[in-house]
Amino acid sequence: MTESQESHTGAAPLLEARGLTKDYGGTRALDSLDLAIAPGEVYCLLGPNGAGKTTTINLFLGFVAPSAGQALVAGLNVSTHDRESKRRLAYIPEQVMLYRNLSGIENLEYFAALGGQGSLGRERLVEILVEAGLDGDAAGRRVSTYSKGMRQKVGIAIAIAKEADALLLDEPTSGLDPTASSEFSALVERLRNRGVAVLMATHDLFRAKDTGTRVGIMHYGRLVTELSTAEVGHADLERIYLEHVSDNGGPR
Amino acid sequence: MIHHIVRKEFADMIRDGRFRWSAILVGSLLLVSLAHGWVQARKASQELTAAQATAREHWETQGEKNPHSAAHYGVYAFKPRLALSFVDEGVDPFTGTSVWLEAHRQNDFLLRPAQDATAAQRIGALTAAQVLQHLVPLLIILLTFGAFASERERGTLRQLLATGVGWRELALGKALGASGALALLLVPAAVAGAAALVVASPAPTASPLARGAVLAGAYLAYFVVFLALSLAVSARARSSRTALVFLLAVWVVNGLVAPRVAVDLSKRVYATPSAFEFARTVEREMADGVEDIAPPDRDESTKRLLAEYGVERVEDLPINAVGVYLQESEEFSNRIFDRNYGALWDAFRRQGILQEALAAAAPSIAVRTLSMGLAGTDVEQHRHFAEAAETYRRDLMRQMNGDMTENSLTGDFSYAAGAELWESVPPLEYEAPPLGWVLGNRILSLAVLGAWLAGAVLLASAQVRRAEVA
Repeated sequence: MTESQESHTGAAPLLEARGLTKDYGGTRALDSLDLAIAPGEVYCLLGPNGAGKTTTINLFLGFVAPSAGQALVAGLNVSTHDRESKRRLAYIPEQVMLYRNLSGIENLEYFAALGGQGSLGRERLVEILVEAGLDGDAAGRRVSTYSKGMRQKVGIAIAIAKEADALLLDEPTSGLDPTASSEFSALVERLRNRGVAVLMATHDLFRAKDTGTRVGIMHYGRLVTELSTAEVGHADLERIYLEHVSDNGGPR
Repeated sequence: MIHHIVRKEFADMIRDGRFRWSAILVGSLLLVSLAHGWVQARKASQELTAAQATAREHWETQGEKNPHSAAHYGVYAFKPRLALSFVDEGVDPFTGTSVWLEAHRQNDFLLRPAQDATAAQRIGALTAAQVLQHLVPLLIILLTFGAFASERERGTLRQLLATGVGWRELALGKALGASGALALLLVPAAVAGAAALVVASPAPTASPLARGAVLAGAYLAYFVVFLALSLAVSARARSSRTALVFLLAVWVVNGLVAPRVAVDLSKRVYATPSAFEFARTVEREMADGVEDIAPPDRDESTKRLLAEYGVERVEDLPINAVGVYLQESEEFSNRIFDRNYGALWDAFRRQGILQEALAAAAPSIAVRTLSMGLAGTDVEQHRHFAEAAETYRRDLMRQMNGDMTENSLTGDFSYAAGAELWESVPPLEYEAPPLGWVLGNRILSLAVLGAWLAGAVLLASAQVRRAEVA
């Protein structure tokens, strides 16, 4: 934790960006992002396509190297502590992709084992899947029979099983029906209450206001504004969002 | 952690219908080809034993005749099949496995099934070696081309790497998982092959089990080369389709193009005469002699004998001068044979070395050469037998001419030897070369296959390190 600065809540941040910048060729995808997310915070990154949300998540995952700045997970620089930082993270993409020939339990067992949880017993695996909202009967079925919503629940179960300090969500409710989206938000809420720091990239203003504790609006790679969700209503958030993303700023 | 990856890869693979069907197909072909090869080899071995007995009986019961007539009557020599020949029949169908040994001539080998087979029959005669050299690598490609590329396309790779697992662990786990699935196919075949070896092992001196173990090791190395290449390509390819197309191209070049090119190139660099040209050259040299090899002069031979024995007329010689002259003719023809066959074998040897070196472009050439060598069906072991048969022929001719020389007089055309002489000629006891001799001949192939193995593993390691998540 010595490398980290304090977040706005006063606690040492679990996810932190310091001047984080990423260029692809001549295009700047992310421009000097400064961000600190404390335990128990859900930070929602809002922005249109190409705003830099997924690039931010990729930088925290160490999938791409920053052009400048640092991404830190629990105080660990992702560039120099790749494996250790990933051990502290869980990640749920827009579409959780699983192994079709394996059951939900087998998929969870596999990802959990790779995440450092060793071999969890079958009972515990089913318990986690049920906690994630998956029907117990479906847990033993091959994933090839699952709907998108069911796969997302397995993704959540993977995150729960990992007992990670921080959770990265990339458009996790995209394509889910409202019920599934609500269930998903409730699960995020539970993780937040356990002290997990959550960074969620989303287009969904309603979900961001409903789930997040803070919202950052990104446009053309820059974090243009940051709001506390407790201080804005849905309508305000939409207005502020549109004000920032419909300006004339273009890619640099 | 790796064992989790291995277990998952194995389970995922064996539940995949595509794997099941292709493995069943390749496994069946392998077992059928092994069984077919074994039955054929056993049948051929039994026929050989029967033919040897018949030939020997014919020799011993040919009746009374002049020994030189017996030399023309001749005997057959049969190349024994080694136990592993059921795996790889090598050049045997092309070179033949029996030869008629007679006076004055070094005959071509007989029993060449490939000569009489139609193209369709040759393709249809799928051997275990062909399955191992061509179909198993194809199966490896089909199993592993998507190891990384498909995961990247599906999006599972991001999730996997987000867990903190390393690329190398992932690659090793995938390689071992695929190996486990392949073992389901190959281990029963290897067990069947080993059992067949134990049952069919006719020649302990040819060390069949040791040869089998080295053969298994060579094929294992060959499969690892393909596994590593496939993982390397999959790690770097932009899509699984690109990986598959590239690897299939490698497979075609390795199995079909390179061996053909290697043979044609080696023939071009070290040209050998056609069978017709070779026969004409030998015939011409036998008639006229060549360089310092002159045909024997009968008058000179007679004069020398008269001087040696201090007599004036051939009738006074205590030996048969014709027998001496016939043996001198044999010695002359032997020198012509040595000169021509020696050059021919040397050209074949140089062609073989060039082909082995060209295995640097395709590992199939190295494993094919090793496979034939260990099965006892390569050109070198054909030569080994041919030379043993020729040595036997020369000894036989020397014995026949010697008997005629010692036991009859010049001009005595009534002399006839009998069963006692024929039986005194021992049958050809051919001993196949030991494993060390075979490996000594195949150092280059072993080195090239080893280089392929090391290179492919290093390449896979480097490509996996440089692989991208998306």
